[in-house]
Amino acid sequence: MLTVKDLKVAVEDKTILNGINLEVKPGEVHAIMGPNGSGKSTFANVIAGREDYEVESGSVLYKGEDLLEMEVDERALAGIFMAFQYPVEIPGVSTSNFLKSIVNANREARGLEEMNAMQMLKYIREKIELVGMDEKFLRRSLNEGFSGGEKKRSEMLQMALLEPSLAILDETDSGLDIDALRIVSEAVNKLRTQDRSFIIVTHYQRLLNYIEPDFVHVLYKGRIVKSGDKSLALELEDKGYDWIKEEVDAVAV
Amino acid sequence: MSTTVAQDRYAAEKQKFQELFDQTEAANQQPAHPLDEYRQRAMALVGQLDFPTRRWEEYKYTSVNRILQPDYAMGQVQGVDAADIKTYLPEGMDAHLIVFVNGQLSESLSQFAELPAGMHVMLLRDAMDSDRFGSVAREQLDGILKDQDDIFVALNAAFSQHSLFLYSEKNVACEKPVYILHLSTNAETPILNSHMNIAVAETGSEFAYIEGQFEKPGATGTYFNNIYNRVTVGANAHIHHYCLQQEGAEGFVINRVDAEQDRDSQFSNYTVDLGGRIVRNNLNTVHKGSNLTTNYYGVYFGKEQQHIDNHTFIDHAVPHCQSNELYKGIVTDSARGVFNGKVMVRKDAQKTNAFQQSSSLVLSNKAEMDSKPQLEIFADDVKCSHGATIGQLDESSVFYLRSRGLNDHQARAMLQHAFIAEVLEYFKHEQVRDFAEMLINQKFEQ
Ligand SMILES: Nc1ncnc2c1ncn2[C@@H]1O[C@H](COP(=O)(O)OP(=O)(O)OP(=O)(O)O)[C@@H](O)[C@H]1O
Ligand SMILES: [Mg+2]
Repeated sequence: MLTVKDLKVAVEDKTILNGINLEVKPGEVHAIMGPNGSGKSTFANVIAGREDYEVESGSVLYKGEDLLEMEVDERALAGIFMAFQYPVEIPGVSTSNFLKSIVNANREARGLEEMNAMQMLKYIREKIELVGMDEKFLRRSLNEGFSGGEKKRSEMLQMALLEPSLAILDETDSGLDIDALRIVSEAVNKLRTQDRSFIIVTHYQRLLNYIEPDFVHVLYKGRIVKSGDKSLALELEDKGYDWIKEEVDAVAV
Repeated sequence: MSTTVAQDRYAAEKQKFQELFDQTEAANQQPAHPLDEYRQRAMALVGQLDFPTRRWEEYKYTSVNRILQPDYAMGQVQGVDAADIKTYLPEGMDAHLIVFVNGQLSESLSQFAELPAGMHVMLLRDAMDSDRFGSVAREQLDGILKDQDDIFVALNAAFSQHSLFLYSEKNVACEKPVYILHLSTNAETPILNSHMNIAVAETGSEFAYIEGQFEKPGATGTYFNNIYNRVTVGANAHIHHYCLQQEGAEGFVINRVDAEQDRDSQFSNYTVDLGGRIVRNNLNTVHKGSNLTTNYYGVYFGKEQQHIDNHTFIDHAVPHCQSNELYKGIVTDSARGVFNGKVMVRKDAQKTNAFQQSSSLVLSNKAEMDSKPQLEIFADDVKCSHGATIGQLDESSVFYLRSRGLNDHQARAMLQHAFIAEVLEYFKHEQVRDFAEMLINQKFEQ
């Protein structure tokens, strides 16, 4: 699905990702953890296609194609979905119109027919239920005035509607109360299939009680410094990051 | 008295209009009508007035030079059939339709609907002939010519042969809008279209009229739509006035509206400008009684070489009146937008509540926007607010939309549409709002 090799990325001449290697196979769930500022969002954004970053070296293959050559919308249509840590508010764009447009754009790319208004309504209702959102949000402007939790659910709704091959969740659990967290993770679990992969960026092991990852990686100073299974997350929860930082910094010195 | 130096600037152009006037008068087969006398008086007035130059403060950003250069002639009904009309009368639009092609009335293309008793729509000349409206019509015409200092109004009055007279009797509510459609088609010569609407709502009445000005798709001619509206809103009455414009690459427009409101009344103007070579709107309202409301809602979108200038004026002369003004627009390519919003709050106009907002997006380096709020407040107990913003599309929003699979063009169109849509929400008549929305979307797709 996704093969990242020695990826180095800079912003404004400052190197932020310093040689990332990662292999995500179909159906796998990878959790990426790490202290603040370690480069998690940067990594997620580079995969999603944000252009503010300069790729210095390395390669990313997605389904065998050179991902870094693809435009952000091409990536989306090829099945990459990014749930943003901070989704933007877009006044004036009605949520329902937006959802219709993106569903149909993605259907078109997959050679499916556009949905008519009735089919669309039914489809959206179905997914709204899945993520536990209130239908009244459909009439509001996209993300405008949504609480943090509502924004995250709106991201999950979009994910459910677009049925991506690879979903990247950037701190979707941050700021959610336990109920919301449960609903969001259930939604993710329902979407888990044999060929859909997830990269889940999180600070909290708590989420991984609900979504069981196949791998846990620790990102520190722009590098994956430790990988393991879900027990690594528990260990981090227990001991924090200091022991890892010490290990890494000791080697560096 | 104007000086001869100033008059000389456009002496040759004025002479051409005089010659065109003389020609049309000579060719006029119809027996002389009292309206003709007014038209001749108006033409004499043209001779005494000056065309504006960029030295005039009000025309600083808009030169009329280009408008005055072509050798205009009068147009003919040609190149339009019923199918063309359908484009401008979409499904769901139920209106009393009056069609003008190249400035000439076409009764066969018009679709007169049944209007409620007490709502009158007729030619101004017929109104002058009638016992019922004769004196009102003459009063209005006298009012237009008296102390007139706008040469374009004088020119309009001189050439406007098919002026319309819209009149609602006391307490009559007319739901069906009157729709005055001007279509420009290919013609052999540049066409001068002068059209005047006189709209009067008596006490407690309400009606809406739409002015649609379009160039037939595919046409390429040069034309000048010189339009004048005189609106009189009686006590507790409401007139809704929609102006929808989508002119051709060589279409020029000057559209002036002079509205006068009596106490407790409302006047709402809704303008959608999708361009022309030069479009200049002069929208003026004077308050004659207290507790009334004036609403101006405007949307514009200029591309390529288009020049769109909205000059608005609200004269708060009496206490306890309210005005709401919201203009939003987009300019791209080499287009130029101008917004000038003058609000006068006179000494006696205490407790005035005046709101004005003008926002625009400038989407290319060569596009230009000049936005000038102009508040002149002489009363002390008033609430007046104004804001003018000029900005660009938010790139992080573009990225967000694209990250969901919309292409760059779709993403930008969606954001531009969202920017403008806020204004459309104020459009009172849903059918007109939908139509305006359709026109705007078409322009985004171009
Ligand atoms: N556009 C940018 N311009 C400048 N610096 C940036 C930019 N984006 C990220 N950085 C810097 O890169 C580093 C990594 O940031 P990133 O947001 O990827 O971290 P993170 O691991 O997601 O942190 P958090 O846990 O706080 O979300 C930080 O030092 C941040 O300040
Ligand atoms: Mg982050």
